[in-house]
Order: sequence, then C-alpha cells, then structure tokens
Amino acid sequence: MNDRSITTAISAVNLSKRVVTAEGPLDILSSINLDIKQGESIAIIGVSGSGKSTLLGLLAGLDVPSSGEVALAGQAITTLDEDGRARVRAGRVGFVFQSFHLLPGLTALENVMLPLELAGNKAPEQQARALLDRVGLRERLTHYPRQLSGGEQQRVAIARAFAVAPSILFADEPTGNLDAATGARIIALLFELNREHGATLVLVTHDESIAQRCSRRIYLDAGRLVERN
Amino acid sequence: MRVLGKLRLALRLLARDWRAGELRLFVTAIVVAVGAVTAVGFFNDRLDRGLTQRSADLLGADFVLSSPAPVAGEWIDTAVSMGLRTTGSLDFASVVVRGDRLQLASVRAVNDDYPLRGVLRTALALYQPGALTTQRPKPGEAWAEARVLQALAIESGRTVEIGSASFTVTRVLTDEPGRLGNFFTLGPRVLINLADVPATRVVQPGSRVTYSYAFAGIDTRLRAYREWLQPRLGPSDQITDARQGNTTTARTVERINSYFGLTSLLAVVLAGVAIAMGARRYSLRHYDTSAMLRSMGATQRDILALYLPQLFVLGLIASAAGCGVGWIAQVAIYFVIKDLFPLPLPAPGMGPALLGLAAGLVTLAGFALVPILRLRSVPPLRVLRRDLAPLPAAAWAVIAAAAAALIVLLWYYTKNLTLTFAVLIGTAAGAAALLALVLGLLRLERKFKSGAGSRWRQGFARLQRRVHAAAGQILAFGLTIMAMTVIAVTRTDLLATWQAQVPADAPNHFIFNVQPDDVLGVQRFFKDNGIASQALYPLVRGRLVEINGVAVREAVTKEEGAEANNAAMQRDLNLTWAGELPPDNTISAGTWWNASPPAGEVSVEEKLARRLNIAPGDRLTLTIATETLHARVASLRRVQWESFHPNFFMIFSPNSLNDLPTTYMTSFHIPLAQKSLLADLVRKYPSVTVLELDQVLSQIRAVVQQASTAVELVLLFVFAGGFTVLFAALSASMDERFFEGALLRTFGASRWQLRRGHIAEFVTLGAVAGLLAAIGTEAVAYVLYARVFEIAYTPKWWVWIAAPAVGALLIGLAGFIGTRRVVARSPLSVLRDI
Repeated sequence: MNDRSITTAISAVNLSKRVVTAEGPLDILSSINLDIKQGESIAIIGVSGSGKSTLLGLLAGLDVPSSGEVALAGQAITTLDEDGRARVRAGRVGFVFQSFHLLPGLTALENVMLPLELAGNKAPEQQARALLDRVGLRERLTHYPRQLSGGEQQRVAIARAFAVAPSILFADEPTGNLDAATGARIIALLFELNREHGATLVLVTHDESIAQRCSRRIYLDAGRLVERN
Repeated sequence: MRVLGKLRLALRLLARDWRAGELRLFVTAIVVAVGAVTAVGFFNDRLDRGLTQRSADLLGADFVLSSPAPVAGEWIDTAVSMGLRTTGSLDFASVVVRGDRLQLASVRAVNDDYPLRGVLRTALALYQPGALTTQRPKPGEAWAEARVLQALAIESGRTVEIGSASFTVTRVLTDEPGRLGNFFTLGPRVLINLADVPATRVVQPGSRVTYSYAFAGIDTRLRAYREWLQPRLGPSDQITDARQGNTTTARTVERINSYFGLTSLLAVVLAGVAIAMGARRYSLRHYDTSAMLRSMGATQRDILALYLPQLFVLGLIASAAGCGVGWIAQVAIYFVIKDLFPLPLPAPGMGPALLGLAAGLVTLAGFALVPILRLRSVPPLRVLRRDLAPLPAAAWAVIAAAAAALIVLLWYYTKNLTLTFAVLIGTAAGAAALLALVLGLLRLERKFKSGAGSRWRQGFARLQRRVHAAAGQILAFGLTIMAMTVIAVTRTDLLATWQAQVPADAPNHFIFNVQPDDVLGVQRFFKDNGIASQALYPLVRGRLVEINGVAVREAVTKEEGAEANNAAMQRDLNLTWAGELPPDNTISAGTWWNASPPAGEVSVEEKLARRLNIAPGDRLTLTIATETLHARVASLRRVQWESFHPNFFMIFSPNSLNDLPTTYMTSFHIPLAQKSLLADLVRKYPSVTVLELDQVLSQIRAVVQQASTAVELVLLFVFAGGFTVLFAALSASMDERFFEGALLRTFGASRWQLRRGHIAEFVTLGAVAGLLAAIGTEAVAYVLYARVFEIAYTPKWWVWIAAPAVGALLIGLAGFIGTRRVVARSPLSVLRDI
C-alpha cells in the first residue's frame, strides 16, 4: 500500500512514558492522544524538559512507551520488537537532528548515499549528487563534515533525510545549533523540500516562529499535551 | 537489502574507515600476531622439508646397521640374496694433521657404492658452490668439509695426515648424507676410501670405531630382511631406520616448533590485547553510526551483516600482510642459524600461510568479536539521546572468547590439552601476580611527597591517573625486556663466567684411543715436554643390559624420565677400573673397596644410579664385545664433572676387565705456545684422538650465539606486540588527552610544557618496565647460574642500568611520537568538537 494513500500517517493513543530515577519514578509523558494526517506539518513545542524529544522518539518507533499505542504509516508498532520497528521505518521515515549526526568518516556525498545504499538503491551516487545539488552543495561533495560549516552540515543532513523519499520526516530542533540567519535558511529549505516531496513533517522546536510555519502546533507542558492551533 | 548489496556497502564502509585511519591499529596488531606465528611456521616447515621428509637421503639408506665390530658375512649375503642393495663404511674420530696444525674430524671410510640414498656434492676449491658427483674418493684421496681446510689453512690439492697415512685433499665436501641424528658432531666430515683404513693404523683393538652397513630396497624386502636380522642382533648392534630417524628428527622439529611457537604466542597475546582495546574503541566510535543506521530502518541482522564482513575482510588482508612479514622474518632466522644444520634447508611451502590466516582470524574473532557484536544492540533512540549505549558485554563473554582463541592456538603448539590448560592457567596466574606487584609499585609512589618540578613525580602522577592501563603496559614491556636481557646475559656472560671460574691450569685437552703398548710412550712424551697430565685411565666400551636380572629396558621404562634413561641404555658406556678412588670423586653410598678387592665390584656415579634406580648391593650385567660381565654395586659416587679430569659413570675393581679390548685416555693442560706439540704426538701415535676443549667451547659459544639470536628475532615480534598495546592505550586515551591539552593551553600552558608532561609519563612507564625487567632478569639468571649450571653467581649490575635505560628510551620515544597530535590541533577546534 502506498503510504501516501493512508490518511493518518501517525497516531498515538494514550501514550505514556515513565522512567525510574534515583529519586523514584518520573512521568515524562502522560496520556498523549494524537493523530497526524498524511501530508500534514505539525510542530511540537515546549520548554526544555517538557518531553518533546521523548514524544518524537515514541512516534518514530525509536523507543517503546510505558503504556499506550503508536501506529506509524498505518502499522501498529508498539508491540513490535526493535527489528520490527526498524523494518517499518525503512524507506518511510527520514530524520533531521539538532546535532546533524553526520558520520565523520564519510564525505558529504557518502553521507547522503548511506540510506540509499541501505535501501538497496541501484544508483545511490547519482541520486545523492542530485540531492546535494538541490541543497546547494554541488561544490562540497567530497568534503568531510569537519570541513563544513554548521549550516552546510545541516543541509547535508536534510539531503540525507530526503534521500529515500520518505513519507514521514521527523526533525528534532533542526536549527538548535545554528545562528538565526543560518537557521532561517535551513528551515526554509526544509519546508521547501518537504513541500516538493509531500511528506508528513513532525517538527520539534522551542522556537515559536518556526512552529508558525507548520499547519498545526501542539504544546507539551510537563509531559501533557496542550493543543493550540 | 540484498546480501550482495550489504556486502558492497560493508566493503565501502571498510574502505571509508580505513581512509579515516580507524583501522591501522587493528591491521598492525594482526600483522604482528600473524607475522610471529608464520615466521615460526615457515621456519619449521623448512626444517620439516629439509630434515624430516628427507630422512632417507639424510641417512644415506633406508636403514643402517651400526656395530662396534664387523658383523657376520652371512648377514650381508642374506641381504643381497633378498634383493637389497648394501654397502659398508667405517666411522671413527681422528685428528687430521697438516704441519703443526690439527683438526679433529669425523672420518668416514667408504667404497664406491656409497651412499645408497641421497647425493654427494663437492667443490674443487674452497668457497665454490658444490656440484653433484657420482665419483668417490680414490685410495690416497680425502674429501673434507670446508671447516677442515680452514682450520688447517690449506687449499684443495694439499696433503694431510690421518693416523700414519698421508692423503691429498682433492675436493671440498659440500653436501653429504648420513648425518641423520648427528647434527651436532664435534668434528667436520672427511671421506676417505675404505681401502686406506689399514694404512692409517687408527683402527686398533679397543678403538672407538663404528662399522656401518647401509641397506636400501623396496619396503616388503626391507621388512622381511629386518625380521630375519632382528633375532641375530647383539646388544651393541643398533639399527637406524629412516622412519625412526624420521621420528627422532620429527620430534626434534616438533620441539623446536613448540618452543618457538610458544614464544610467538606471547606476541599473539599482546596483539590480542591491542585488538581488544582497539575493537572496544572502534565499537564505541560506531555507536552513532549504528544508531543512525537503525533509525534508517536497519535491523540487528543488517548491522551484523555490515560489520562482520568488514572484520573478516580486514582480518584476511592483514593476515596476508602478516604472512609476508613472517616470510621475511623466517629468512632472517634461517640466515642466523643456517650453520647449525648439516645441509641447506629448502624454501618453505605455503602451508604455514594457511595457518597464519587461520591464526589471524582466530585472534581477531577471540579478541574483537564481542565488542563488535555490541553494535547490533545500540538502541536507535541514541540518535536523540546520546547518553544511551548498549549494555556492556558480560566480562565472562569477553574473557571466554579471548581464552577460546588462545586455547586453540596453544593446543596447536603443545598438541596436549592438559599442557595447554596448564600453560594458560599458569601464565594467567603469573601475569595476575606480576600485575598486582606493578599496581602496588605505582600506588606506593603516591605516598611520597609530591614536589612541583619533579619530572618523575609528574610522570608517576600521569601513570596513576590511568593506573590499570599503565600497569598492563609495564607488565608487557617488562616481560619482553626481561626475556631479551636474560638472553643477552646467557649469550655473553654465562659461558665467560663459567670459563673464568675454571682454574688457569685445568686440563684443556683430552686424548683417547691410546693403545696399551703406547701408554708408557705417551706418559714419557708428556713428561719430556713438561706437559701436566692426569693419570692414563684404561677404557673399555660396554653396555648395561640387566639390573638384578631384569632387562634394563623393562626395569626403567616404568619410571619417570624413561626417555632420558634411554640414552644410558642405548649407547655403550666408558668403563674403567681403579684401585684408588679418583680425585674429584666422593663416596655417597656404600664403601670403596680396600687394597685387594675381589674382581667384579663396581662403583656407579650417583645421578646415573638414581636415574636407573641402582643401589649398593645390586647386581649389574654388562656386555662387552661378545663377553658378558656380572658385577656387584659396591658404592655410589659423586663426581665433579666440571674439573675436566677423566671421570667415569662406572669404575670397576682391578682385574674385573682383564682380557677385554682396552684403550687408554687422559686429560692434560697444554699452553697455547706449545700447541704444535700435538701434531708431533699424533704423528708418533697415529691411533690417538685429541679433543681440544677450546674448540669445543668455541663451537658451543657459536651455537648459543646463533640460537639466542634466532630467539631474539622471534622476541622482536613480542616487542612489536607490546608497542601495539601501547598505541592502543594511547588511542583509547586520546580524546581525554586532547581535551586536557586544549584546556591547559587555553589556561596558558605552552606546547612544550604539554610535551614535557607526555615525555615524563612515557619515560617513567619505560623506566618502571625496565626496572621490573631487571628484577626478573636477576631472579632468572640466579636460577640458571646457581641451580642449573651450578656456577657462582654475581649480580649483573649493568642490567639495572641498561634495562630501565632501554625501556625509558624506547617507550619514551614511542609515547612522544604517539602524542604529538595532541598539541598539533588548535585548542579551539578541540573544544568545539566536544
């Protein structure tokens, strides 16, 4: 089934996450209910420690909730093991991170090729070149991350995220490590590419101005969802 | 993702990691481990091909019958009638004389049929390559090994004397069979024609000669003849079979393989530790990669499919490189000790290369697999939370994998599971004890008051911050330096110390085969020329066959050390008689006989008695030529063998050995200036054999030098293994060093101040390792000198200076080079990366 024909890209039902600390159990998330439609762009906003990244991790299948259920691309993932969740993500999900998470030993081109090679793509280099050209890094294909500025590294990361044409894109504070001007350009590029690919965008941010660019905004406060539009 | 696709991606990731310099330590460690294993493997393969597999060529026949007397003609006629080829030769030790120079040689008198197997190669002059020859020495000719010509300072074509006869040395003997089991004879070979033996007058009644009868043919006929011959053999007759000689040689080769192999395993262990440290770091540095791949949809199996092939391919390539290094090393080892072998050894085959590949992969699997497997357990959530990491591998799993790899390799060399575990457990226990000692030393220093500006304090402080890694490195280097200094002490000091303790006027020559009619003449010769000599002792060759009526073989094989006792049982002993107890002998059990003792009493040397379980009162049966002799053990003696006086395992009471073939022997001291008298002595009494102890010592010294150099070459791999551990520890601590260096420079420290700190750390590490080596060397040397060789021991002060100095220099330099990157990067770039 084509993911884009599914109307609900992600759904969360009564999602909670509790961890045990030295001081006792801590509820990071409580009773989150959420439906995200295919093609929607949604911002998850909250102060530091509100549980934004934890929610993103649960929605992407990177972690398992303490209770509740998550469905990703029409498939229930809560009961799947780690490999099962990985298989759901394969070819469907892209990520952009605050710290870029480029592999330091790979060039810009090789970093973008990686998800294509993992997916068994027959012409990973060609597609990677095209993507890097699209994000304006034609001249930096053979450069290593340490040779790129923060903005350039994030552009590589964005190219990598879109390499497999994901139906869902998760972005965790994508401008958190960038200055305001660079961050604005990155966000513009991100939304541009997302529009071109028609992916569902789940964006974690504490920046209200970025959140306003999304079609929907939800707020987390001490692990609870407060939705304002 | 398809299998082929995964493999391609795995190889690309491998290539990328190699470009990033992530894998150099792995490769180096595997090259060291495989190099050590294959150096030993290739060398032993050469030994096997050159000696074991060519035993018939080395023996010169399919089997050889040796006897102290000519055998019955019927034995030869029957062999011929059974379709076997046969030839006879005569072996004896004799002195070859030219002017006033002489050289003890192993003379073999042969006829035109010699050898039945193998080939003779000769050269027409010294230093020319040998060529195959189908000719044999004609009457009046002698073919001699190069050493004879060099000792006599002659060229081919010159005349020499053997006994009473003169020979023209017409060829230089370069390759000759018949050396199987006789690798370390004292005398180089001289071939003469069998027809010339009577003219030499060397062979007299009682002379030590060996009549050798060589046989060759097809297996069935050989077996049939052996069956016919066996019941006819006397106790002094000995059969050397190519297969039996093969077994002996194979056992020797296997023993060499074990000794060298176990040494090379030290290098494997150290390389394995470096691999384990490198694998742990590699795994840590790939957590983010693994998490990223998992977030992209890779399963745990995909992760393994990406990393395990990388490990395998890396192991294969590095092992292949290690085989190349091992090949070069075995060339060097052979070059050093080639003179010890009776014939040139062929090049090795490729078999050891397969072993090397297997060893490389086994080592990699044992030490790297567990950390690498952790990559599949990296939680994908790590992309959002970098503090997440897989659970540490269970310590038992890590140790079990490494132990399994070592057991496999140890078992290969020991071929004995019990010994394997004994070595493993013993080594682990010893290492743990030494590690505790080193940790204690390092922690003890903390009690000293620290003073600013003290480089040693600074060095110790830095070591104590990483005390366990430092202790491991001190142990590894300390043991390696200790092994090398023990070898240096043995090679240079042991023989010299022993020699220095021998009195200046101690006998330095032995003389054998003095005929009874020549005894007075020889004594007069010594007296007339002012040569100090011991008494001339009669000597009869006999063999012990029964103890208290029980065959010796049966009596002693039940005891431990049967193999050592076999030497006493299988060869003739030198028997003598004496009325008085010789000097250097003391009675330890029983009593020496009185002035008129009965015949048939014997006094036995106490160590031989202990090995053969002989006590006073026991009855011994010996065969001497065709006679049988019975004797009662009257006493046991303690003998000072190192006095160089004639000493004997068995001394009989007077009149016990009457009418038996007897020669005489003694030892004497002759100063260097009078050595030319020896040529006169030999000319006057052509049957005598003179043994020059200084030549013997030179040969022993040469053997010790060569063998110890060969061992040191293998130890170089151990040293290299130690350095890989050092660099692995450096890599593991590099992030911390970068951070520390960046911070200190931010606070105003100069680059040189940082470098000084690094130098202090590694020089201290090397010096402490050297100190440990010095302690160990003194302990081992004491045991060798005082307990094994029983010579007076004096501390080797130079070791206490040399070992710490060498350690400080080498390890200090390595550390200095390894930490130069710490100050190469700008502090800002380091702090930004954190």
